[in-house]
Amino acid sequence: MRTLKLKKGNLDTFLAKISELGELWGPRKKGEVYIYDRIDDLRDLVKEPVITFLPIKKLFLPPRFQMLHYDGKIYEENINQFEQRIVYGVPPCEIHSLLIFDKLFGLKYKDPYYFKRREKTIIIALSCTPSSACLCKSARTHVIEEGFDLAITDLNDFYLVWVGTSKGDDLIRAAPELFDKNVTQEDIQKFIKWREVRDGKFKKSIDFVTMPDLMDLNYNSHIWKEFAEKCLSCGACSMVCPTCNCYDVIDEIELGDNSVNRERFWDSCMFKEYSMVAGGHNFREAKAERLKLWYTHKLKSFTDAYKKYSCVGCGRCVITCPVDINILSVVEALLTGKVDKDSLLTEKGK
Amino acid sequence: MKKKIGIYGFTGCAGDQLTIIHSEDKLIPFFDKVEIVSFRMAQSNNKECELDIAFIEGSITTEEQKKRLIEIRNRTDILVPIGTCACFGGIQSMKLGDGKYMDRYRKVYGNNKITIDKAFESLPLNSFVKVDYCIPGCPISSLQFFSAFTKLINDFRPVLYEFPVCTECKWHENQCLLTEKNLPCLGPITRAGCGAVCLDHSIPCVGCWGPVDEANIAYESKLFLKQGFSSQEIIKKFRMFGGKASQELVKSLIKNENK
Repeated sequence: MRTLKLKKGNLDTFLAKISELGELWGPRKKGEVYIYDRIDDLRDLVKEPVITFLPIKKLFLPPRFQMLHYDGKIYEENINQFEQRIVYGVPPCEIHSLLIFDKLFGLKYKDPYYFKRREKTIIIALSCTPSSACLCKSARTHVIEEGFDLAITDLNDFYLVWVGTSKGDDLIRAAPELFDKNVTQEDIQKFIKWREVRDGKFKKSIDFVTMPDLMDLNYNSHIWKEFAEKCLSCGACSMVCPTCNCYDVIDEIELGDNSVNRERFWDSCMFKEYSMVAGGHNFREAKAERLKLWYTHKLKSFTDAYKKYSCVGCGRCVITCPVDINILSVVEALLTGKVDKDSLLTEKGK
Repeated sequence: MKKKIGIYGFTGCAGDQLTIIHSEDKLIPFFDKVEIVSFRMAQSNNKECELDIAFIEGSITTEEQKKRLIEIRNRTDILVPIGTCACFGGIQSMKLGDGKYMDRYRKVYGNNKITIDKAFESLPLNSFVKVDYCIPGCPISSLQFFSAFTKLINDFRPVLYEFPVCTECKWHENQCLLTEKNLPCLGPITRAGCGAVCLDHSIPCVGCWGPVDEANIAYESKLFLKQGFSSQEIIKKFRMFGGKASQELVKSLIKNENK
């Protein structure tokens, strides 16, 4: 992998240059949150690493999108109209979530809606330092070896740029004069120091390796019922989770001409109707069963099938669930057998 | 043969029927694809005959309405309440079951006797007849109504979301008012379908689509208690749009409070 240096002041010039090669996307501010969005004005782009409200999955499988249109005779799939995109600012944990999706959606029947967008997207990863809910070091997703075209690490004096693919190399070639090939021993030391500082900043950790066993042992534990008592079944955890990928498909009929739009939208196994089948039977009617499924998937069964946890440690569930059911509180309960029934994510207001 | 459709209104603001009439881009196919046999707000010469589908707005508050509702049920294949009043009882049933109905009655009508009909506390349609689907909203969303309408007239089951507003709110990437602003938001226990429209404008959800089947009222109220609201304020909030469904739901809260 080629590594280069980019001067601090040259990032904007570089981004302006490469935005000629495709639509530039990245985090921007919306009210008090950050969202991935198309960037028309470079001043809107947040160049520092941030945790966006929804993870990167929304750029590849939007919350709700039209799959195809059927006019009564022929159907037209909406998969060939995507523009070339360059996404800046993707943190390592989310690169790992895309690697998980690549596996999941790339099995025997490849998901064209995902892969067409994926093929049209160049990814510029951005190393970050952990915030209080980050668990990527535990999940081993704080480092990346693949899944990006360029990766940028901010070493204060300059950026270290890793070229991951030939597409990434093409970006460099758009403005080679901005880069310095000469990575010195001093630079390497700076990088090592930066890594040490980052690794020392994690406030929470989870021993993921031990989780499959603990999930097995806790299969009949009372903790699931206790969490179920708290759970609002609001689906927020699934929406913000970078690896949750369940969806529903609906055909919307147009009243005027009886044409059909087939739409696909995010679903959650936390919803009662998610596991409802024909005849009104529901094989996961109890909330406790649904919660157990969610965490079994994240901590155990995905590991069995793909040798990888499907939690990338982004911490979004930790900062989102109003009743404090998240990867941290569940792991805590798996370890201690205790559920804190009073912990809630709201404070005295008014 | 075109399906025969009737659209009726009982006690409510007529906003749901108005939403249909205000869907100008759909009106021509709406009157063309089916036979609208009865829709008093939109046409004259209505006839009362056998129906394929009846869409009914409003709650039931008098004996005469009750009789009429049962009569419509008897001559329609499918009956669909539209709007939160018809589905849950609406704001006019926020005090349902408090035992003070006659006090309120006297406050409005004094000791005058109403002779034309006998009134009672506002109730949703399913208190008297079987309903097949439920299209809530205050008022209904045109998008959701016509999606269900088109499905039904083509002999498909309509798809009506049973998940809460939070889901749609997250899709729109709105900062959570409940956890980040400590505001009493009913999003987690309220039916989606509105498109999180209030939340898009940073206004907490007031629950106007009615409660979801699995509404976790116990923990929703714990959140509000922590925010500093009193039990009375919380119950009021839950009952504002929740009608008969929330009457049942808050029972456990009242029990705890009395302990």
